[in-house]
Amino acid sequence: MISHIRPRLRKPLARAIAGTALVGAWALGSPHWWLAIVEVTVLSMAVAWYVWAGQDNDEGALLGSRADERQKLVGQKARALAGVVAMAAAYTGLAISLAVKPADAWPFAVILAVTGFGYLFGLSTYGSGEPDPADDADTGYQTRFPVSR
Amino acid sequence: MRNRVREQRTQLGMPQAELAAALGVSRQTIISIENGRYLPSLPLAFRIARFFDLTVDKMFDPDEEEAGA
Repeated sequence: MISHIRPRLRKPLARAIAGTALVGAWALGSPHWWLAIVEVTVLSMAVAWYVWAGQDNDEGALLGSRADERQKLVGQKARALAGVVAMAAAYTGLAISLAVKPADAWPFAVILAVTGFGYLFGLSTYGSGEPDPADDADTGYQTRFPVSR
Repeated sequence: MRNRVREQRTQLGMPQAELAAALGVSRQTIISIENGRYLPSLPLAFRIARFFDLTVDKMFDPDEEEAGA
């Protein structure tokens, strides 16, 4: 399905759909006429992202789903930084709410728990999990040659 | 780690964009490799070396920076 969508259009379209869903949920909870302005803003931003995705730079390549290995690494580092910042913000919010109004602290605790779980899930998914046995542990033969220098 | 990407590319009189297209990476990545800001993955290092008809150890020299440092 997603492969049928032009790479440059994928992320702007996904953000437009996500933004529209958020505005829709907001409209269901508290319908206001000015939500139409919010929706127009969301769609305008999606158009701006589409234009940005066409530029010849790292951000444009990432947004346009055509990033090479270095640009993907840049994107991963940026997402990792965003995760650390989110955890720090959740922790700060939790500490302040516990001091001021403990009843309002739970959303921060949930965000902190979810980001912490996400980190552990990432370790188990991308890490090796159980350590692999050494080559010579199961064969009984020394497979590592002596260093020549 | 030093590399000979810029040297080899200029010898061929090839623009960075053309080399980038030939290797399937962005022009910015070629610039980063030439400036030593990015160490390419092993597959990309092999692609670069093969493109210039050199071996990887001729293209990328880890000892050169140590000697200059």
